[in-house]
Amino acid sequence: MTYNFGISRLDELIGDIGGGTNIMVIGPPMSGKDDIINIVAYHGLIDNNAAVIVSTREPGTNVLEWFGHHDTNIPMDHIGIVDCVTRTLGFGAPDTENIKMASSPVDLTGIGVKISQFFEHFWMDLQLRKTRLCINSLSTILMYSNLPTVFRFLHVFTGRIKAANALGVYVIEDGMHDDKTIVTLKQLFDGMIEIREGEAGYQIRAVGLTPKPTPWFDYEIDGVNIILRG
Amino acid sequence: MIETGIPKLDDYLLGGIPEGKSLVYYIYPGVEGNVFGMQTMYHTVSNGRYGVYVASSTDPRMIREQFDEFGWNTDECGDRFIIVDAFSGLIGADSRERYVVSDPEDVNDLTQCIKQAMEDLDGPGVVVFESLSTIMDLCGESETLDAIEEWNQYAMLYDHAMVYNFTAWPYSEDTLLHIKEDICNSAISVGGISERVIFGQYFGILKADWMDVPRKCVLFKIVRPGGIRVYIPKILVTGPFNAGKSTFVHALSNRAVSVDRLGTTIALDHGHIDYRGFTADIFGTPGQERFDPIVKLLSGEAMGVFLVLDSTNAADFVRGKRMLEITMSFGLPIVIIANKQDLQGALTPEEIRKKLSMPTNVPIMPAIATNRDGVFEAFETLVDMVMEVD
Repeated sequence: MTYNFGISRLDELIGDIGGGTNIMVIGPPMSGKDDIINIVAYHGLIDNNAAVIVSTREPGTNVLEWFGHHDTNIPMDHIGIVDCVTRTLGFGAPDTENIKMASSPVDLTGIGVKISQFFEHFWMDLQLRKTRLCINSLSTILMYSNLPTVFRFLHVFTGRIKAANALGVYVIEDGMHDDKTIVTLKQLFDGMIEIREGEAGYQIRAVGLTPKPTPWFDYEIDGVNIILRG
Repeated sequence: MIETGIPKLDDYLLGGIPEGKSLVYYIYPGVEGNVFGMQTMYHTVSNGRYGVYVASSTDPRMIREQFDEFGWNTDECGDRFIIVDAFSGLIGADSRERYVVSDPEDVNDLTQCIKQAMEDLDGPGVVVFESLSTIMDLCGESETLDAIEEWNQYAMLYDHAMVYNFTAWPYSEDTLLHIKEDICNSAISVGGISERVIFGQYFGILKADWMDVPRKCVLFKIVRPGGIRVYIPKILVTGPFNAGKSTFVHALSNRAVSVDRLGTTIALDHGHIDYRGFTADIFGTPGQERFDPIVKLLSGEAMGVFLVLDSTNAADFVRGKRMLEITMSFGLPIVIIANKQDLQGALTPEEIRKKLSMPTNVPIMPAIATNRDGVFEAFETLVDMVMEVD
């Protein structure tokens, strides 16, 4: 069981990513990480994968709209969003087929339950055998909970990703955390997608998924495609 | 005793939690176990006692909405439903609650608030912690363990029962062992059945220091509204042709479908029942001999069996007994339904027992499935038998 990112030149360099892989996406603010993680989920959806997205920064409806806006033909019933935002804004929104509400980013127990429920639904009810879990972002969770707490949470769920042969992708803001935090969290991941600011915009590369890091590429986001240059 | 309100758990605990004692729901990550504490809280206050709910990871307004989702209206409980707000301080939000922990990361502040709430109650009640693990994350493992001992001792003074929802994240082994075995009078394991994903949930008693612990594991489902329901994934309904199996399945179920031709089941009946704290999926087999290969397929992994007989048709009883062999039901809990008791010539259950040479430990219960007479009594009997299996 293998996965790819849907970022063509990176995928060619990396080859297939094995099921059970956990990957950190780290980059500076405003570098398009939200789009990148949605695109990774999107390319799974068009390949008949399920996508579970934990959103700590955007209400679930906004995330869902992103997918609906970019492609009306994707199987919307394969998307599950754990919304950690809406209820913290004071809206008593009920769960829907696509969106389950967590009470807050502090409520890691609740977030974990909702992730598990989506995994069960996709595996048991829809018989989907490939699932992508995207957590956007760990930085928000780290604002509410300390490092050991978040580490314990991730320790459990990176393990669940391995058990389910799924793909886990976790976003973290560069420059927002100290080195100890990043080094501690890195232990849990099999590789990284790194983003940095270059001379002509932002650049991207993969680390830990090939014997040597891939070269840095300038990139541009065009709808559901990430176009690499250089 | 303070009842937990969880179906079967109170039976196993000999009535519930003795006043002054403590119970921890030891929940595996990813399992929706916090509902256990909520159900215990609501059950207590709806029975006229006091309840204190210590909110540590959810806004109190949201907590009331969460109770509403289960059909548990906290407004009706008036001032018997009390929230200690140990959340708002964490995000710098205002609180409307009477008891507010200004610094949720300070275990002493939390302790002071909880003690005050306990003192103020007019009688014995229950103190439920929404998430002990969140408190532990905020205040530290050893500090929280010390505080639990203090809270439990204080509860003893006032005869309150203490109930903790604890998610067993990978804390230190000592901490997990302490929570599971030492710090509370009783511990209930709330776990998940997992292979690639968690696809089922169960609870069982790990410890209760006022009794011998029964070695039982109970599957459960959570329904909204309703709460925790003991779940029986498969009950088989079998019996000869035209005994009334499909009618029985439909009479028992909240919703059911049949695959039939001209009223005769040719593949299966499937129904789902939600009744008095129990939920079950019911599978009915065809009765004609030519469908016996399907019957074999349908009967695997059943936890209990109804054998439906037409009480007016003794000639088919042998076929009924044969169907128990085909479904390999011997050894499973079996209830025989003496159906069509309203028809002339219907044999009584005892007459049927003699004709079948059935031992007395197999209940034979009279029923008229067409008007639901006796079907729920039979269900309760079978459920009791299934729950008695170790």
